[in-house]
Order: sequence, then structure tokens, then C-alpha cells
Amino acid sequence: MRRRALTYLGLALLVVATAVTPASTQQSIMVWGDNLPSNLDPHALYDVPSSFVQLNVYDNLYRYEGNPPQLKPWLAESYTASKDGKTWEFKLRKGVTFANGDPLVAEDVVYSFKRVMGMNKAAAGPFKAAKVASITAPDAQTVKFALEVPYAPFMSIIPVLTVVNKKQIDPQVKGDDFGFGWLSSNSAGSGAYVVDPSTYIPQKQLDLKRNAKHFAGWSHNTKPIETVKAREIAETATRVNALIKGEVDIGDSYLPTDQVERLQKEKGVVVQRNESMRIFVIRMNNSKPPFDNVNFRRCMSHAFNYEGFIDVILKKFAERNPAPIPKNLWGYPQGVKGYDFDLKKAQAECDKAKAAGAPVGREIKLHFQAQLDQTKQAGQLFQSDLKKLGLNVALITDTWPNMTTATAKPETSPDMWIHWVSAYFIDPENWIGTMYDSQFHGTWKASAYYKNAKVDELLRAARAVPDQKERARMYADAAKQVVEDAADIWVYNTVELRGVRSRVKGFKFSPVGSGNELRWMSLE
Amino acid sequence: MLRFLVRRVLLVLPVLFGLLVLTFVLVRVVPNDPSASLAGQNATPQQIAEIRAKYGFDRPLIVQFGVYLKQVVQGDFGTSIQSGRPVARDIRQRLPATLELTFAALGLGIGLGVPLGVLAAVRHNRMLDHVLRFFTVGGIAIASFWFAIMLQLLFAMQLDLLPLRGRLSAIMDAPKHLTGLYLVDSLLTLRFDIFWDSLRHLILPAVTLSFGSLATITRFTRSGVLDTLQKEYVLYETAVGYPRWLMLWVYVLRNSVVATVTQVGLLFGALLAGAVVVEAVYDWPGIGSYAVFAIFTSDYKAILAVTLFVGVVYAIVNILVDVLHGVIDPRVAEQM
Repeated sequence: MRRRALTYLGLALLVVATAVTPASTQQSIMVWGDNLPSNLDPHALYDVPSSFVQLNVYDNLYRYEGNPPQLKPWLAESYTASKDGKTWEFKLRKGVTFANGDPLVAEDVVYSFKRVMGMNKAAAGPFKAAKVASITAPDAQTVKFALEVPYAPFMSIIPVLTVVNKKQIDPQVKGDDFGFGWLSSNSAGSGAYVVDPSTYIPQKQLDLKRNAKHFAGWSHNTKPIETVKAREIAETATRVNALIKGEVDIGDSYLPTDQVERLQKEKGVVVQRNESMRIFVIRMNNSKPPFDNVNFRRCMSHAFNYEGFIDVILKKFAERNPAPIPKNLWGYPQGVKGYDFDLKKAQAECDKAKAAGAPVGREIKLHFQAQLDQTKQAGQLFQSDLKKLGLNVALITDTWPNMTTATAKPETSPDMWIHWVSAYFIDPENWIGTMYDSQFHGTWKASAYYKNAKVDELLRAARAVPDQKERARMYADAAKQVVEDAADIWVYNTVELRGVRSRVKGFKFSPVGSGNELRWMSLE
Repeated sequence: MLRFLVRRVLLVLPVLFGLLVLTFVLVRVVPNDPSASLAGQNATPQQIAEIRAKYGFDRPLIVQFGVYLKQVVQGDFGTSIQSGRPVARDIRQRLPATLELTFAALGLGIGLGVPLGVLAAVRHNRMLDHVLRFFTVGGIAIASFWFAIMLQLLFAMQLDLLPLRGRLSAIMDAPKHLTGLYLVDSLLTLRFDIFWDSLRHLILPAVTLSFGSLATITRFTRSGVLDTLQKEYVLYETAVGYPRWLMLWVYVLRNSVVATVTQVGLLFGALLAGAVVVEAVYDWPGIGSYAVFAIFTSDYKAILAVTLFVGVVYAIVNILVDVLHGVIDPRVAEQM
């Protein structure tokens, strides 16, 4: 009798087991296999993973779309700027509601801005640079920003401000936390998707449900995805394996080239290849000998094998970008060749530096990021070529928080370190402006500790000039000077590669957010 | 027995205090600045300095430790600077996943290790013993992350028998929360589909995690049984015709497993520590992967709480092992 019961139980389990449907056959659920943000508060974070929440759960006044990215009216229908460039007025759409049904009005925008500045986390940075004197809501549909001084890139930083529901957050505020304790694992937005807080595990799993009442409507997508289940996958190889196996539908945008080749052989996976605005750069601490010697920096710039790295290691999935502005952005210094890989030229420059008394023989410490293989590969290639010049380079494994802490002071900032500068907002200010204006020394972006009065003057003037052509000329001139001074080693502009299961349709890439916007996507 | 327990618990307190001091100092002397992590990318030095002052990171280390200790004594482990939630809540949410994995690994280790150890002892210096020795030495020597990747490649990618990662298929909803252990909750709620799915997800991580402990348990059991088999009472029992299975699996085994039980206590700590690596490879949403993320992002309150928690669990398990010694061997119980 007992044996028979066990047999039935076994058969029942078998039937149930075969009924488990793999992710790749579910029509309304998409599994997202990218890195998740540390928390869900859109004002606490300002990095690439957080754009997943900011773009899908929240809305902004204007939004970047497409490639090259264009600013599109979003919550705002239009804007006007005063002639002196100090007052910016936005007219909001009527009838927009948050996902919980509360109306979205100008007071929410004012509250959101004050929350960003009050929390004083990374997202406040661009607005601090803009020196916003005040923000007001003259009526329910109008938001007015007053700046202390004209700031030409102001419109380009506007998408950084995501709008949250004041009415929903206010009751959750504890002390001076601005409701962070609650919003870090809940949502209070008007976006196309809503967070399901009941299943949320920080840094591990995040489920989003479609907001059918989103103000932009769904006419652009007749088969939108109802549920998106985002699952953090720490290892690149596991992420790729999960894509091949069909356990996830979409991977991350930092796909290494060796994995691209694997995915290209798979029938059920498509590799999305899009030119981005993400510069790969090897930083040099210009304040430390021998890097304070321009000839030594030029020596280093000639010693990196750009072609070998891009053509052989990256298999041409990148484009050489020899200046501190992406090649596909206005302001790029056309005609600048930058430095080529030539060990003879490098030796000559190093000899000049040595003759001037630079301590060329000392050990150089080059820090790379432990979790990003490409930074290690670049470091190893560089190390082997510098050895031919008799330069001794020690490669140091490091983490992002550690490096950004170290770069806060010139004396603790590494000799050299490797990272990317992504497209946080689309303006040369995001790259050359914040990397080489000496007023930003102490931030990781300005960790070269480069200082040139002429460059400072050009970059500061460019912020106050409203005419884009004139600004482009100024940025190009500044970039030429920075390249001449070999402040850093700019290697390439990224071609973003992302593995996507072929059943996912409508993937739309933009350098801001790396194609993280879900409302375009559907499943076959 | 009660006096013994009280004495052991009192002895654990200074150990935990020492652990807390050591971890606090180690976490704070490395050059990572929690205020930089808290400020996030693109923050200005001024923003970082303001945050440093706001959270008291600019105060002397001993003052910071004093403040932290006072909070811990009151049961407040602070807020994670990354998740923005109380660390205790994060750990509570992730703990069942780690316990399920650890107990499964321990179950595999004991369930296979003890019989294999007995068999190896009975057949010592014969083929089975040599084969088992090869695997047990390998089990202790093999790096778990490598073993995990090999298992993934073979069973998930090549043979397509088991899932690659995670605790449950993403398309499946977790069972209703009763204990937090998916296997248990799915059975209690009669969701056999979830039970089967979570069991399939558990196999590879549990096998990876158990491999080292399986080897240790096998070796210790083999050694204990071999030693006991030389005793005179075994010879006597054999002579009077006791059934061999009864003699071996009851009388000999009971007198041989004291050392194994001690090892199991120690192994439990090793399993919790090993879960850090295994959870990272299999994306298991437990406290191991939480600890890894906390270390990478200088989330020092999370690091401290996880360390303290593992210390407490380790201490409790070892007290239980001591009690178990008394149950197995009445002579030990008399000395308690």
C-alpha cells in the first residue's frame, strides 16, 4: 500500500516537473540578467545600473532617446530660457498621474529637485555645477529654475532629475532621511513600470509590472511586456551561459569580446551592437613625479599598443578615440590624431624626461578593476610594452569604491588607473568639462589632477556661452590642448555589445541608459 | 548539564566581542571610505566631506566603535549604506536561503560521508578504499569556485539536466513564506511544482558546498571505525555471533563518531564561510552573496553584522556539538 502511494507521489512529481516552463517560452514575462542597482531610490544613485529604475519606474521633464541621443519633451511639453540664460521655465503636460493614481503636478518636480539636493548624493553633482539659485512652481503646470550664472549645458542635465510623488513619500520620511529608508525598496513614480516590493531582494531580484496607465500610452507597442523579472548575475560567464540556456532573455552591456564570439554562434541569441559614448581611458596622476613631466606622459602615451588592443584583444569591437570627447559628439576636435604606438618615439620622450630630472626609473603602480576583465587586459598589455622601455609597472587589483576614495586627494590617487567615462548626460561637459577643469579636482572624473590655465578658461567660458557652435569650438580647442599635454591616455569609444534572446523584439539603444528602456520591448 | 551550558554561553560572549573588535578594525583600516560609497559615483569631494561629517566617519575610530557597540547591544545593527534598509532586515530576508543551502550540503556530507567512511574502513587498503581516498583528498584540495564552474558546464550546459543559477526559475513565484526554506514551504503549501524547481536549483550548489565536508567526514569516520574495529569487544561480539550489520552500523559506528561529530561542528562554520564563494558563483540570494557585495562596496555595517551573525551561529553549533558528545558518550555527560 505504502509502495503504491509512493509510486503515485513520484509520478505526480514527474508530471509537475515536466510542466515547469522555461523562461524562453513565457509570452508575458521577460527575464533581465544585468547588474541591479544597490537600491531603488532614483535620487540616491547616479550610475549605469540605476538607469534601469530611473528610465522605467520614473519619468523626467525631458528624456534622451535614440542614437545619437536627442532630447525629447517628456513630462514637460516645452521650455523657454531667458535671454541671459539664467531662467528656465518648463510647462508640464496636463492629466499626468503617478502609478498610484495621484496627479503629477509642478510641486512634485520642485519637491524632487529639493530632495535630490537635500540628499546630496551623486545625482546632486550636475545641479551643483549648474548653481541653481531657486526652483519654484508658479502654478500646477509650470516649473521655474533660476540659476546664479548662465549655464549652457543646463538642458542636457535636466533628464538627470527624476520626478517622485511627494504625497506618497511624505508620510514615509523619518528624521532627515528624505524617505530614503522607504523609497530604497519601493517606488513612487509615474513610469511605464512599477516595482513589486513584495518580491524585491536588494542587489538580487527586482520584479516590475507594467503601468497600463502610463501617460505616453502604449500605442507604440501593441504587445508590451507585462512582467519583467530582473535577476542579478554576478559573473560574466554565467550571464552568457544563462542567455544561451534561455534562463534569461537579455544580458548586460559590458559583454567581453570573447563572449561575443560565443553568442554569435548561438541560434537563439542576437548580439546588439551599438556605437556608444563611453570612453576607455588610462588615467595618469599629473601631480606625481614623473607624471608631472609632460615628456614622460607623452612617453607613456606612445607606449600603449592601441591597435593591438582594439584589433586583437577587442576584435575591433571598439573605435579608436584619441581625445577626451567621444568622436560621435559635437565639440570633438576634428583632425586631432592623438598618439600612436611607437616605442622609439616613447623612448625619445622618456629620455627627455630623464634629462629634465624626472624619476623615470621608479616603480609605477597601475590599478585595474577586479570585476572588469578588460581593464586587466589593458594593464597587462601596457606592462609588457613598458618593460621593453625599461619601465617597471606593478599591476594592482582594485575595486571601484576603493579607487574613487583614493582619487579624492592627489597624494593618495594612484599613479595610473583604468576606467570608462559613460554618458551620464550628453554634452562635452560630461567628459572634458568635468575631467579637466581644475575646479573638479578631488572627483574621480578629474583624477588626472591636470591643471592648465588656458584649458580652465576655455572650459569655464564654454559653460556660459549659449551658442552651440561657439561652445563646440571652445571644447575642441580645449581638447587639442589637453591632448598636446598628454594629460591621460584615451584609448577608444565603446561599441556597446549586449546579448539578447531573439524572441525579444523592439530593443532600442541610447547611449544614456544603454538601451535599458523596457517600454519599447515585446516578446515573440 | 545546565551549569555546563551557562559556562559555555558566558565563554562565547568575550569571543564575540573580540570578533567584533577585530572585524571593525579590519574593515575601517583598509583605505576604503564608506562616505565615498555612500555619496555614490559622480559625487564631489565637498559632498563626500559633508556625508563623512553627517555619519560621524570623521570621529576617532574608538568613538565610532563605542557608538556601534551601543547600537548592537540594543539590537540595532544599523542601516546598510547600499540597500538603504536595516541590515538585520536584509540578513533576515536572505538567511533562509543560506540555511537551506548549508543544511542541504551538511545533509549530503553526513548522509554520504558516514557510510562511505564505514565502507572505506571495512575495506581498508583495498580498491574501494583507494578510490575513496583519491576522491576525498581531491575533495579537500579542489577549489570550490572551480568545481562549481565545472559542475555548471557539465550538468547545466552540456547535459542540460539542471539549472545554471539562482534559487528558483525566474518565471516562478516563491512559495508562500512560512519558514523561508523553499523546499519546506512548497511542501507545506502543496506546491509540488515549486518544490521540484527549487530542488533542482539546490542540487549543484549543495553538491559543490558539500564536497569538501563530505571528504572530511569520510576520512574521519574511516579513521574512527578502523580504530574501533581493533578493540577487544568487537572481537568478542564477532566471536559470539552478533550479526555483522548490527555490530558495524550500531555498536562500532556509535563508538567511532565522536571525532566525526566534533568535525561536523567545525565544518558547519566552514560551510557558512564556503557559502560566500558558492553563492557568488550560483547567484544564490543568501547572506554569502550579501557579504561579497558589502565587501566590494565598503558597506561596513553589513560586513560587521554578517561576521557577527556567522560567529554566533558557529558558537551555537559548537555548543550543540558538545551536548551531542554527552548524548553519544555517557562518560562525557558525567563530566559536564
